[in-house]
Amino acid sequence: MKRIRRAHLVTTAAVLGAGWLALPGTALAQTELVFVWHAGTCADILVEISRDYPDQNVRIVPALVPYGPEWHNKIASEFAIKGQGFDFAMWDSQSTAEFAGGGHAYSVNEIFDRSDYLSPDLFAPAALAQYGEYPDGSGKYWGLPVNMDAYGFMYRKDLFENPDEQAAFKARFGYDLAPPQTYQQARDMAEFFTRPDQGLYGWGQMGGRDYDFATTASNSFMWSFGGELYNPQTFEVKGYLDSPASIDGVKAYVDMFKFGPPGSGNWGWDEVNAAFQQGSLAMAMQWYYFNGSNADPAVNPKAEVTGFGNLPGAVGRDGKFRRQFSVGGQGMGVNGYSQKIDALIKFMEWYFQPAQQARYAAVCQTGLKAVLDSPEWQQLNSYNRHFARAFQYTNDYWHLPEYAILLDELQEEVSNAISGKKTVAQALADAAARNERTLEMAGYTITRSATLPEVPDQLITPVGTDAVVALPFD
Amino acid sequence: MARDPGLPPRRLPRELSDRMLCGLFVLPTLGVLLVMVAYPFLSLLYYSTLSFSLLRPGQAPRAMGFGNYTMLLTDPALWERFVFTGKFVVLTVTVQMLLGILIAYFLQRDFRGRDIVFTLFMLPMMLCPIVVGFLWRYMFNSEWGIINVMMAAAGLGKLDWLGIADNALVAVVIADAWMWTPFVILLATAAFRGIPVNIREAARIDGASPAFVFFRVTLPLSAPILAIALLLRLIDAFKQYDLFFAMTGGGPGNETMTVSFELGKIAFRYFYTGLASALAVLMLVIIVGLAMVFVRRLTLAAEER
Repeated sequence: MKRIRRAHLVTTAAVLGAGWLALPGTALAQTELVFVWHAGTCADILVEISRDYPDQNVRIVPALVPYGPEWHNKIASEFAIKGQGFDFAMWDSQSTAEFAGGGHAYSVNEIFDRSDYLSPDLFAPAALAQYGEYPDGSGKYWGLPVNMDAYGFMYRKDLFENPDEQAAFKARFGYDLAPPQTYQQARDMAEFFTRPDQGLYGWGQMGGRDYDFATTASNSFMWSFGGELYNPQTFEVKGYLDSPASIDGVKAYVDMFKFGPPGSGNWGWDEVNAAFQQGSLAMAMQWYYFNGSNADPAVNPKAEVTGFGNLPGAVGRDGKFRRQFSVGGQGMGVNGYSQKIDALIKFMEWYFQPAQQARYAAVCQTGLKAVLDSPEWQQLNSYNRHFARAFQYTNDYWHLPEYAILLDELQEEVSNAISGKKTVAQALADAAARNERTLEMAGYTITRSATLPEVPDQLITPVGTDAVVALPFD
Repeated sequence: MARDPGLPPRRLPRELSDRMLCGLFVLPTLGVLLVMVAYPFLSLLYYSTLSFSLLRPGQAPRAMGFGNYTMLLTDPALWERFVFTGKFVVLTVTVQMLLGILIAYFLQRDFRGRDIVFTLFMLPMMLCPIVVGFLWRYMFNSEWGIINVMMAAAGLGKLDWLGIADNALVAVVIADAWMWTPFVILLATAAFRGIPVNIREAARIDGASPAFVFFRVTLPLSAPILAIALLLRLIDAFKQYDLFFAMTGGGPGNETMTVSFELGKIAFRYFYTGLASALAVLMLVIIVGLAMVFVRRLTLAAEER
């Protein structure tokens, strides 16, 4: 019996030992560079391109999550434990402050110093600043513009170019039917095309409570009407986020849900795409990221009659015209705890060559200047030339480490305004109060201004023009 | 006492005694329990007294005492989360228990194809909750979701299921009930079939109606198992996260945000680690308290019988 027992112990030890030796970490393997991103065509094309990386000992491994809070949380959780679960990640531009501020991201300036090829000159300066710089204007970079994006506009050309529709519109509103240059025009056109009995609605936009669904859209309206999220010098939120101009903008945004299908107040990008592709929408605001699929007849039955362009602007209460919309896309950041920085820099030197980026840009939007400036890329499809222009008009959330909290608070309050639980003015006032509390808890000193602006854009990087600056559409 | 020099010198035993062997085998489990349960729990208690963020290691933790608990318990928004969670728990568990018992009543009998029907009923429970959430999110889509398409076809018109707070609550209750009623069916069927046939037959011979037999014989005899089903469903519903995450995102506004959702948000979106730890402790107290009350009542009921 005792002999049997001893034999069992020896066998158990042998099995455990064999198991230990079989663990992946104990065997020699090729270098795997793991990246986190949200699942989608851009991540897929990155993986596809990486298969041609000349050093076959290096493998690029995707760790993808659905678009939304889980994507941010996956990166943040790994940083919180100072983990090496991934080597690089594509994170939203506004997350740079959070991850770099926490000391988790590897300095891109360091990469520039260590590389013979990678340098700031390779990228459009605005893109490099937007996707990687923290603090703003410091010249310290924490990400490379790997996937640029901006809020865009799409519309049904067959409706807008229909002579009967054009005549009816002119008779009703007194001016020509054409893709809108202002949100005031967009409202008229949305109202005109809203015909529930025909299953047609004028306007589609995101309004969901998830992640940044509602606020990327509402901010685009708010900035265009001259509003601001806060004053980055004094850290005041009250008086800026709930300024009369900000309220005008968010009211205009909430108002547009009247011209969307019932229930569109909780839509995400998926629902906007689906409704447009089913022919239920005359116009929609949507990220450029999705133009590839919306221009593809295999995905969008209305692709042949879908036109693209930039979002409208607005004439604010000060009479100035502004066109401002949310920047999207991601920078490529490097995990400061990764043990494979050398191999990663070598891969980045290869990946950011024009040949690889041209392949990438055929599907998604690169930040590499050589590709963006090339006529081949600009003429590749009907929307690239609009996208090349879009970055003059983009704006972003707070570039502060507390971004995720500020965002969630604003999302909640804008969602309250959409559902009608609160008026727009009340929702923005509550959001401003909560944002200020968050900033104070994080140690910011809020300096109160003697007077508060009616149109905050006049104080903070003014962009208003006296006349409407029209942009072309396809 | 001096050792007898005539005795052979003391040596370590060459073979392990049964007691030592048991100890050796239990040791890894004890180790795992200490590492996986005791250490995290004590850490949780400690963290709940600090103000700090795991994501901002540069900022030194600040001792708060019971400050985090005070902040949470005096926050009206959190009380709203508790009230909403309570509403959800009562609604969903009531629906699941009633439906589960009703369906189990029919499934307790033997009929042709019963096993197939029973297996079909069990299927939703086997699915991943987040998948169920997205599935129902699309089915409840106001424009092209199957629910509204069917309602429109029946002349009932379309409902904004997920954009209006009350409708969203009903929608999530439907999804949760679809997924977890099978659990009640499983336990209730087992309980009903476990009752000796002669008891029910005796009642019938005495002239009892089927309703009388069900309410006065079947239900009382199944009560302990049904109470366990109720307890497990209450605890699980209280912790519900996935369905709200997938279907409503906590919205509109914050109107469908459960306490678990709030906890996940504070812990992994805000990374207020100290505050999240305090909320986790509060939830633990509620769940353990609930379980203790139930177990005590069950024990008393068993003793009375």
